Amino acid sequence: MNERIRLLFAEAADLKTYTLRNKDMSIDIAYIAPLCDEKMVSDFITVPFTKEEVSYRKHLHTIPEYLKVEDSARWQDLLLRGNVMIRDNETGDIYSLFTGDVICNESPQTQVESAIQGPQIALSEDLNKSLNLIRTMYPVPELGIEEYSVGYISKTPLLVLFDQRHVDPSVLDNVRSKLSSISVDMVHAAGELEKLLIGKRRHLFPTVLITERPDRIARALGKGKVVVLIKGSMFALIMPASFFDFMHAIEDNYEAYWMTRVLIIIRYMSIVLTITLPALYIAIVSYNPELFRVQLAFSIAASRSAVPYPSYIEVFIMLFMIETLIEASIRLPRYIGSTATTVGGLILGQAAQQAGLVSSIMIIVTSVVAISNFVIPINSLSFSVRFLKYPLIVSSIFFGITGVAVGLFLYLCYLCNLRSFGKPYFRLHGKINPAEGDIGQVRTK
Amino acid sequence: MKRFAAVITLFLVLLSLSGCGFKDIDKRFFVVGTGIDWSGNKSKPYRITLQLAIPSPKIEPGASKIQYETIDAPSIAEGVRMLKAYVDKELDFGHCKMMIIGEELAKRDINQSIDWMLRRRDIQSVATMAIGRPTAENVLHVQPASERYPGNALLLSFGADGTESSYNYAETLSGLSRRVTEKGMDPVLAIITNDGKESYVINQVALFDKSKIKMILSPTETQMFNQMSDHFTKASMHGMFKGTPMVIAINQLNSSFQIHKNNDPLLINMRIKMDVVFEEAPNGLFESPWGPVEDALSLEYEKATVTLLKKIQKHGIDPFGFGLRYRAMYPGPNSWDNWNQLYPNAKFSVDARVKIEGTGLIR
Repeated sequence: MNERIRLLFAEAADLKTYTLRNKDMSIDIAYIAPLCDEKMVSDFITVPFTKEEVSYRKHLHTIPEYLKVEDSARWQDLLLRGNVMIRDNETGDIYSLFTGDVICNESPQTQVESAIQGPQIALSEDLNKSLNLIRTMYPVPELGIEEYSVGYISKTPLLVLFDQRHVDPSVLDNVRSKLSSISVDMVHAAGELEKLLIGKRRHLFPTVLITERPDRIARALGKGKVVVLIKGSMFALIMPASFFDFMHAIEDNYEAYWMTRVLIIIRYMSIVLTITLPALYIAIVSYNPELFRVQLAFSIAASRSAVPYPSYIEVFIMLFMIETLIEASIRLPRYIGSTATTVGGLILGQAAQQAGLVSSIMIIVTSVVAISNFVIPINSLSFSVRFLKYPLIVSSIFFGITGVAVGLFLYLCYLCNLRSFGKPYFRLHGKINPAEGDIGQVRTK
Repeated sequence: MKRFAAVITLFLVLLSLSGCGFKDIDKRFFVVGTGIDWSGNKSKPYRITLQLAIPSPKIEPGASKIQYETIDAPSIAEGVRMLKAYVDKELDFGHCKMMIIGEELAKRDINQSIDWMLRRRDIQSVATMAIGRPTAENVLHVQPASERYPGNALLLSFGADGTESSYNYAETLSGLSRRVTEKGMDPVLAIITNDGKESYVINQVALFDKSKIKMILSPTETQMFNQMSDHFTKASMHGMFKGTPMVIAINQLNSSFQIHKNNDPLLINMRIKMDVVFEEAPNGLFESPWGPVEDALSLEYEKATVTLLKKIQKHGIDPFGFGLRYRAMYPGPNSWDNWNQLYPNAKFSVDARVKIEGTGLIR
């Protein structure tokens, strides 16, 4: 066996092959050292083999972890996933033993969707640990788990979770067929998988909810949604999702009633603001200044009088600055990150206005746009919403307020047209409880 | 590729539309007050005065800066177009909330001016209308020292944000145009009088037939007119009771009227209810019964109002909208003709109910 295995692999220093011999039998073992836990290899194989308290052949027959491998085509795959291959040289039987040692983050804290109350622990990059969390929060015998793997090279393991009682079979079939039809080389992140599942590359809104919170996943399972866990990523995908799921922070379920309702309203207001405000600034300043109160009109006119460019150039300057600032502070290492914000904040806040590059109102507009964008609880939505303001700006340059209104209308039409795994994405009526993030679409026909 | 071409074409089409209306806010000259006067010259009858705001980032009392432009023109629209040659930025009437018509012009015809205002798209229908005395130009040139930003003072006098004067009658452009066109309801405008140089007084109203001033009310009548037309702002009232003068403040006032057709002549019954508090009262009023005081005040008020109504009737105008109510209640092809016959002989009765809420003191 060992010669064949060595032939199957390229010249790899970490591939270990031995032949062991004791009194009554000899075995060949092969494994890729970095993928396996060496301690397990010695505890389960080498030590019992050499001690010979019980015949090692008996070990192989009785302990269920030793799986008999009939098909030699699977050898490579098993080795690459951290299995040890064992060949009994007398009988010629080949067994595999999983001793995989995966490096992952140990029970991480929630970072992207943090909550003050509620569980602080996030999903793990290891599937077993994630499953542990989910099973603990959703201890139900009806929880179905199916295994898949995607990517010709990466062979990323996936788990599809659903509650058998509640799940909509059409959604489940849809997910299954989509997963098995994916043909790419590598998948490493939840977002990547989301794009592959949806199929359309150029979508404006996310239609699959990506989350790191096990409590959100447990709730979704209870509502009959399908959850996909992906190995190596601490994010899970929940589908189908509605627009209102994305606007729902998990803490809305945990905190005091009235304030959370107010927060929900504020969230919707801020999403409208972050999309429309730059476009409205152009439309009002350049087309319909009578929309302002007189005082505001005069003070804007006065503060703009130093600006040499038309209003839309001003908007583009400021938006370019704020987008680069956000992008830079995400990518920069944490130690330098604060420097970027300080420099950026100073330049944006003071210098740009004093230099007469932008008006003081524009600075307020920019900061409102940036801040209200961060209010959106789910990162993938807040990211895609960041783009939505640009088409509106273009239409407002040419058509003023009419352009903004028409643009918003088109967005609404697009939202209404969207489907998430066959379910309406923007469904408003029906049995709704937007506060729970449920739009009652899953279980209904 | 086809898609790309489509996007490019769409963009080119869009580009051809640009330039229509795109004008930055700092390239606009905001008109904050418009005055239209009678110039006295037959060939150029209209004198147009524009009060242009000079924007400043500082908004504080006394910091308002204004530029004036005046021109005589054969028509208002032409005058405004000619005025554009005098200024460096595009004129914008979007913030022109104050439209003043000179008294001389108002005595001739206001329909031309109103027509122009209604047709121009950037003049708002909520713009306040008033009469300027002696001329609109004169009134616009008054710059109160306390004004915070251009055109604010006049606007505050008329709006609900600033002073609440019981002598002031605020009429919007849309309201005025309705009264001009509606049969059975005649226009009313407040008169802004420039007293001397530094300020103005608004304490009279002018009553119009459909096109020109018919009569001007005195300040006392103006206050009463405002109360009767339910145009109520906090007011005070004088009265006598057993020889002692008293002043009362009206807190709440409701007025309504009914038309009784069966009577001959036609009877118009007006009902005015008011809740009042004493501001100046004879001593010992608190202990004495209030009933007789209320009755005396009501009687006095009734007498005064009937006199005013008769005076207005004599001029053949109808600012309260009696005719409109008549047309609504007794419709028919000749209801308007009937009303025109009935109104000059109609009788008035006023039913005033003064209710004293307190003496203004806490015992």
